[in-house]
Amino acid sequence: MRWLQRSVGLAILGTATLGAVLLWVGVAASDPDPGQRPQQGLLFGVWRVFYDTAMPSGRVLVAAAGVGLLLAAAVAALERRITNRARRSENPHRTPLAPKLVMAQTRGEYAGPVTVTVLIPAHNEEAAIGATLRSLLAQSVPPARIVVVADNCTDQTVPLARAVGVDIFETVGNTKKKAGALNQALREVLPGQGDNDLVMVMDADTTLDQGFLAGAARRMTEDRALMAVGGLFYGEEGAGLIGQFQRNEYIRYQRELKRRRGRVFVLTGTASVFRPRALRAVAAERGETLPGVPGDVYDTIALTEDNELTMALKSLGALMISPPECTVVTEVMPSWGALWAQRLRWQRGALENLGAYGMRPSTFRNWMQQLGIGYGVIALSAYVLLILMMVLATANWVWFPFWLGVGGVFVVERVVTVWRGGWRARLLGLSLFPELFYAMFLNVVYVKGVWDLSLARQASWKHVVQTREGIEVER
Amino acid sequence: MTVLPLGILLPEDLLANEFVAVLAAFVAINTIVYVTLAVSKVLPKLYLSDLVDGRNRRGETRSIHPDDAP
Repeated sequence: MRWLQRSVGLAILGTATLGAVLLWVGVAASDPDPGQRPQQGLLFGVWRVFYDTAMPSGRVLVAAAGVGLLLAAAVAALERRITNRARRSENPHRTPLAPKLVMAQTRGEYAGPVTVTVLIPAHNEEAAIGATLRSLLAQSVPPARIVVVADNCTDQTVPLARAVGVDIFETVGNTKKKAGALNQALREVLPGQGDNDLVMVMDADTTLDQGFLAGAARRMTEDRALMAVGGLFYGEEGAGLIGQFQRNEYIRYQRELKRRRGRVFVLTGTASVFRPRALRAVAAERGETLPGVPGDVYDTIALTEDNELTMALKSLGALMISPPECTVVTEVMPSWGALWAQRLRWQRGALENLGAYGMRPSTFRNWMQQLGIGYGVIALSAYVLLILMMVLATANWVWFPFWLGVGGVFVVERVVTVWRGGWRARLLGLSLFPELFYAMFLNVVYVKGVWDLSLARQASWKHVVQTREGIEVER
Repeated sequence: MTVLPLGILLPEDLLANEFVAVLAAFVAINTIVYVTLAVSKVLPKLYLSDLVDGRNRRGETRSIHPDDAP
């Protein structure tokens, strides 16, 4: 089975390449016109310009636009259908967390008011833990209990947390990083929790916005079939241009989730709230329908344990949401090296999780997402290659009015989708090419992730640590 | 020896090459696909279920309080 998991990346990239090759062959068969020499014109009677009025034929335009829309609509419709089927499922073996079953099991019973127990896994987080705890204690609906899960801390994390008066859970002999630390803590905490005693897991470098817990508690009170509430994260201030790239990315992600009406992609590790029933069901299914060790809530092999847990819950038919009122501020990577390490982990983790789950309805969206990125790599590379050849092989600057118009549409999209981020976000979107460069960077990370996974390179869990002197990446 | 008109680095005739023509058409089609998706991201999203009355009515309360009206 290991070779199967390893070949996930290649299968995805291969499928994307196959699509590109088919399109290429189709284009070549139609014998495209090599194009005319650019014409010369005089603008306002003084400015001599070269221009090329070349544009695709009407048929090509309609076909390409149609295929794009059709693909997007098909993926969305299929995903919707799969979600609805899981939600209406009444099969207790395959989908024990499906709303109908949960409703039936809890009908007529009142398990008390909603309370929140917060678990904060922390490995040397002295620089960030203070702000995190303050944001928790300042919530209008304060948590019933806060537990800092201190995992092999050698700095001031524990004394700092103790000074604020929260509970400390020190891990014992944990070698399985964050997932292992959380598993130990959950083994202690979960048995005592009633149906409405929620468990929130949040990162030590994240602060909650006001209204997060109130929003989550309200949602969980109104809907007892709701199994998890995910946070919407946006980037903290600072880190200059590279920080702004990430903030823009997160703003677009938030916007996309709102347009999906909160239907979850990932229950983010930055902050997510779970009903104990959901976590217990996952622990019970591990080693059966879910990968991992029986009894563990988190899969300790997964590189991105939040993505894996989301897949697990989705597979079990759980109802989840990321409502707009539950927002958190998370750190941005301050250097290209740190960003590279973080994204390589996310990318590789996503691929490995897909390999572990294989093709099943609940992972359809994830497969399509990876396929989309794979094709994007090819499309963007082809674009860059063409532009490079044009620039290097023409003596004069040539204007293409049609493609300028297309570029204009892209600019509008870039700006509109980050409008909420303020003038700096809009300015970056307006300049278009820097964000194209950022996209290219992420594409290289994607290819590297596929490459490493296929060669079965040992994935290292690079932990980014905030120290008083700044941020460093532990290897 | 033939003298080719030169761009910055490459001969200008390169752009008349068949490979470049196919590449240009390939990129053009991809760009149209992506610009269509970009437009769909800017426009407001429509939900069919908002316009058509579906099976979204709840028959019982889903609240944690068993006596809440649906």
